[in-house]
Amino acid sequence: MITQQEFITNIALALGRKKPLTKGPPHKDLGPPAFWLEQNKYLDKKIELFKNNLEALTGRFALVKTPQDAREQLKNWLKELEAQEIICWDHPELKKTVQPEELGVTVHFWNKDIPREELIKICNQVKVGLTWADYGVAYTGTLVLFSQPHQGRAVSLLPDTHIAVLNSSQIVPTMSSVLQKIKSLAQMPSCINFITGPSRSADIEMDLSIGVHGPYKVWVIVVDR
Amino acid sequence: MSSVPTKHLRQRALEGLNNSQMRAATRKVVDRLDNGKREASKQLEQWEEWRVQGAKIRQHVIENLDYYLNQLIENVKKSGGHVHLASKGQDAAGIIRDICLQHNAKLVVKSKSMVTEEIRLNKALEEAGIVVQETDLAEYIIALAGEPPSHIIVPSMHKNRYQIAELFSKVAGYQLETDTPTLTAFARKVLRNKYLEAQVGITGCNFAIAESGSITTVTNEGNARMCTTFPKVHIAVMGMERVLPTFEDFEVLLALLPRSATGQKITSYVSVFNGPRKKGEIDGAEEFHLVIVDNNRSKILADPQFRDALRCTRCGACFNVCPVYRQIGGHAYGSVYGGPIGSVITPLLEEDYNFWGELPFASTLCGACTMTCPVKIPLHDLLIKLRNKKVTKGFTSGAEKTVFKIWRRFYQGSGTYRFAMKSAYYLQKPLVRKGYIKFGPPPLSAWTNSRYFPAIAKKSFKEEWNKNH
Repeated sequence: MITQQEFITNIALALGRKKPLTKGPPHKDLGPPAFWLEQNKYLDKKIELFKNNLEALTGRFALVKTPQDAREQLKNWLKELEAQEIICWDHPELKKTVQPEELGVTVHFWNKDIPREELIKICNQVKVGLTWADYGVAYTGTLVLFSQPHQGRAVSLLPDTHIAVLNSSQIVPTMSSVLQKIKSLAQMPSCINFITGPSRSADIEMDLSIGVHGPYKVWVIVVDR
Repeated sequence: MSSVPTKHLRQRALEGLNNSQMRAATRKVVDRLDNGKREASKQLEQWEEWRVQGAKIRQHVIENLDYYLNQLIENVKKSGGHVHLASKGQDAAGIIRDICLQHNAKLVVKSKSMVTEEIRLNKALEEAGIVVQETDLAEYIIALAGEPPSHIIVPSMHKNRYQIAELFSKVAGYQLETDTPTLTAFARKVLRNKYLEAQVGITGCNFAIAESGSITTVTNEGNARMCTTFPKVHIAVMGMERVLPTFEDFEVLLALLPRSATGQKITSYVSVFNGPRKKGEIDGAEEFHLVIVDNNRSKILADPQFRDALRCTRCGACFNVCPVYRQIGGHAYGSVYGGPIGSVITPLLEEDYNFWGELPFASTLCGACTMTCPVKIPLHDLLIKLRNKKVTKGFTSGAEKTVFKIWRRFYQGSGTYRFAMKSAYYLQKPLVRKGYIKFGPPPLSAWTNSRYFPAIAKKSFKEEWNKNH
């Protein structure tokens, strides 16, 4: 099998160098166009933009003022979805905001108290997965979710409906801000998911179908304190 | 390549032309995708500036690939991933097969990846007794049909809903309705169980980010997320050129790729993987492997004439505007990568300028592909250069060589040229109908079999000019 040294040297030779570059080439004038980085123009209407983009993809959006209102909104949605059981990230801020035990449904938390196999089985059976988004991207209506021990990937993937909650302060104008934040992390999460609307496909005669493998519905509650 | 066609391009194109279902489906798909792209690129401010940046970034990576690939490898290792390097396609397939065997994998779930088609991965795994489950809806459909992809973004576009229902009904053991929700729901149910059963998940890699050692997937269905969340092992396979220096550069390509491919601002899912799951995490793969494939890419890199082709992000936009692809459909190309970019990279990747060297001739050189390419690959220039390569390597037919030899003789002097043109004008007379030769004798028939030959004018341009000026 070829070694790393050989593989890289082979590329250097193809580029007309005897030895591979060991110092990074100047990374100048790359990245997004200059005008894009001045994002203030989207700042004042970021929530409206997020809402419009999410709704354009069949998502639902609720803007609430207080944690109590967020809980009420969630209760209404769970009733509408006829959900009796949900799976929920074991996330301190999420718990503080919606107080899951007050929701009137059976809540399973994604943590080590339940064995892995059992957790996945639950995710596969319950109607709703509840998460706390790390960021929202206004320009595309995107939720950004970081994987952590108590923030399982399956929660936003297996149930038919994914409901995410976040504060309005976590909504940023464009992807640039999120990527800057990710870059500055001391340790990156093992997985970062950018979720924009439901799972979809147009592979059958270009006919749009929703919920091919993942959720049919992606609904979002934003708390604007 | 997954299989080398036994028929000549001319025959394959003819079959494409005679397949009215394929042609109707192709037209529908390419129109929809191309219109979507036009709309989406109008909505993003300053599309041309984004394109310029995209081209610059990809070119910068290609020219410094030794540095960025090394940086990527080191960073993947730092985050706990294993890196495997493969010079040839079969090496890559062997590496992946061995990882699967080490884990006693019986079932492997795969999300869509063109490079795995290129290295004939499924065949290698199946020969080792491993069941390979394609999970992209289109890939699932064509795997059931046992047919090759007909479009890079919509590989199953040649299958209509009745055929799909038939394929699914065989799996189900009962007759399924043909509406889209029923068909999708069936695939969802079958595949959901496979994700939870499989020991290994295999994905492609749309872009790797060197500064962090991240691997990214850009998908709509969510199957790449499924393939990486439940199986114990995640293997990502990438062509070695798919690196980006930084997250800033990722933002640019992420703005260009979905808009160019399907007209979306962004796909439903974009996942960024940094090695295996971390301590304390409950889901996600425990083991992460990255397989980096050369398979003659370094030869393309070594030839400055063709290096630009490595900028490609596999968006398929060039397929959708190509007047040839529109007519003959995807299967006529016979290669894993179809359309204009496929005609460029297939002869290069296969190092075959004879058989695969025919592909660059299936082009009108109109340049629509170059105009639409989000990373500004000069596709039609590359097509001409490849035609030239075929000729200089001596792979032209005897008849064609003779014709050009004769042509050269007459074209060399103005007297002989004038004489030849005058004679041809009189000789052609019995064949001309309304200004065209519609049916010529051999060797002219090679032209007139597929299009009319414009008749030679009575007066040359020079004679006309002299008369009027």
